[in-house]
Amino acid sequence: MSPDEVVLVTGGTGAIGIPLVESLALDGAEVVVLARGVSPAAPPGVRVVRGDILGGDTLGMESGVLAAVQARVTTIIHAAALTRFDAPLEAVRAVNVEGTRNLLSLAGGCGRLRRVCALSTVYVAGKRTGPIFESDLDHDCGFVNAYERSKYEAEQVVREAMGRLPIAVFRLSTVIGDSKSGAVGRLAAIHHAIRFLYQSLLPMMPGAPDTPVDLIATDYAIAAVRHLSGSGFVPGRTFHICAGADAVPQGELIDLAIDAFVRYRPAWRRRAIEKPALVELDTFELFRQSVEAVADSALRASVAVLAPFAPQLGYPKVFDDGACAAMLDPAGIARPPIRDTIMNAVQYLVESNWGSRAGADRGSA
Amino acid sequence: MTTHIAAIEYALADHAVTLEELAEQGRLSSRPEALRSFGFDRAWVAGQERDQLATRAVGRLLENTGADPASIDVVLLAGATPASHATSESLLGGFSYPAARLQYDFGLTNARTIGVSQSGCLGLMTAVSLGRALLAADGTIARVLCVSSDVLPAGSTREILYNLISDGACALLLERGDGPNRLVAERQITKGYYWDCDARRNEIVAAYFPTARTIIMETLASSGLAGDDIALIVPHNVSLRSWEILLKLTGLPPDRLYSDNISAKAHVISGDNFINLKDASAQQRLTKGDRLLLFNFGFGASWACMIVEH
Repeated sequence: MSPDEVVLVTGGTGAIGIPLVESLALDGAEVVVLARGVSPAAPPGVRVVRGDILGGDTLGMESGVLAAVQARVTTIIHAAALTRFDAPLEAVRAVNVEGTRNLLSLAGGCGRLRRVCALSTVYVAGKRTGPIFESDLDHDCGFVNAYERSKYEAEQVVREAMGRLPIAVFRLSTVIGDSKSGAVGRLAAIHHAIRFLYQSLLPMMPGAPDTPVDLIATDYAIAAVRHLSGSGFVPGRTFHICAGADAVPQGELIDLAIDAFVRYRPAWRRRAIEKPALVELDTFELFRQSVEAVADSALRASVAVLAPFAPQLGYPKVFDDGACAAMLDPAGIARPPIRDTIMNAVQYLVESNWGSRAGADRGSA
Repeated sequence: MTTHIAAIEYALADHAVTLEELAEQGRLSSRPEALRSFGFDRAWVAGQERDQLATRAVGRLLENTGADPASIDVVLLAGATPASHATSESLLGGFSYPAARLQYDFGLTNARTIGVSQSGCLGLMTAVSLGRALLAADGTIARVLCVSSDVLPAGSTREILYNLISDGACALLLERGDGPNRLVAERQITKGYYWDCDARRNEIVAAYFPTARTIIMETLASSGLAGDDIALIVPHNVSLRSWEILLKLTGLPPDRLYSDNISAKAHVISGDNFINLKDASAQQRLTKGDRLLLFNFGFGASWACMIVEH
């Protein structure tokens, strides 16, 4: 990254934002992180400014700060999002759509701006099935949850702005953990699902043994975003940062998790826990309704975590990442072996008791 | 060596109590409408007759079959709760076994008596399984009387893990050789991890479905049968919703579930499958040669599946 680069990162305190900011700072970039409320401890080279993407086209920044940011920023990486799968549409729309609109409005006033990088999700594809290409967006298949819809709408806002701003969209897949240490920066639905499997609270989930589950390592996601937002930046393009053809079949993913449980907690084998049944969506829905009608809190909690995202597995799809690979391959950025990454992540989760145990931080996420 | 169920009789408690009445008595943990949506309607709750149910079931069996009491070689008495296996709370009374009492009361003078416990709702299926094994192993044994007697403590809750429980007893006669209700295959799985019902109640509910599917599919496979070969699924009378889910999981035809007794009789602990088999037969729902699938689950935790040829 050239020495005159100033990178504004929104969502710099999120699951992707934290390691991304660390990586940018290590590389010598001047990084400005937009953060709400109390500023987190910032690594060297990182300046935290108070603001909020819901704060209109100033992003809630004080005028002096705003002026300085707009005068100096060369790259914006928009990672801020409400990623709760169970959040109502109004809430996710406010953050993910209106927040994006505000960000783009601010970007229009940045005199030195060369790049705007909007982080999105491969699941803007919603309930589509089959191959999903990076150039695809519009569809009328519907969505599994409001989060997916809001990110879809946010991409529509971004595409509208592509004519007047240098914007690229990076659709990330589900981030499972660091490829080597397995460390998980922030637990997401996938990690909770693995916990429920470990705790014998996952009797069934939508899907089929051969349904592809697209997972990526955190460090791969960060390396890809770094490259595509730097020397590999191409305005007007959308990239899938995903497993693509390396997606793991759902049945194998469950086997891998169970293998890791047994390897890292040998006593777990004695439980003889049956693998969850992979079922059609209507069967899962019937089970969800039964649990919500009468079940105790632990099982309800399990279903409450699964219900907003697991139905996505009932819409099997493969994300094509040809354009992304064409950019990353020459830069020597390759996907780490996903099966090793999954094993490492499950080891981390088990040994750290899903992040609650002190000393669990065996590496950066 | 083949074994068949020559006869079945049962006795429910004398009085049925509606869901609303049970709720008023504080004996449900779920709302009546929730349990009704699961297919339940009433429970049979024993009063003074609580110690007589097994006697009634065995009496009917002997009377209706005309079997000579002296021809019974073994009595296997199953009961899910500790109270099913003792007639008194005193130390010595703890040895006053109801199986021996049945032997005496009915003059089963040549029968050895055995209690079958710690199988929960699988008690009677376990007794049938043991009886089948005894008939196969010991040529001197020709007739085994299997009995279940399950009565919840007076005044106790009538709902266990979202299921409505009735009091009742069931008796059946196992005989060597071909005959009605030939036992074709059986399989049982125990997972001791779930032994602590209080602590693992959520995990037990979660384990129920995938393990049930496994054992049903394995039992069918061991019999060389497909789901479509099953003429009638003879269930334990747990939530109809749970059966809907299990049928989807296993691919068994939903229209072949005998579900009449879920509302009419509720879950009679380990007697369900055989009470239902008796009723389905009495209602002309079965024809000779029909393959029937019986499935049950018991705390412990154990799952069992049996294929019977009518």
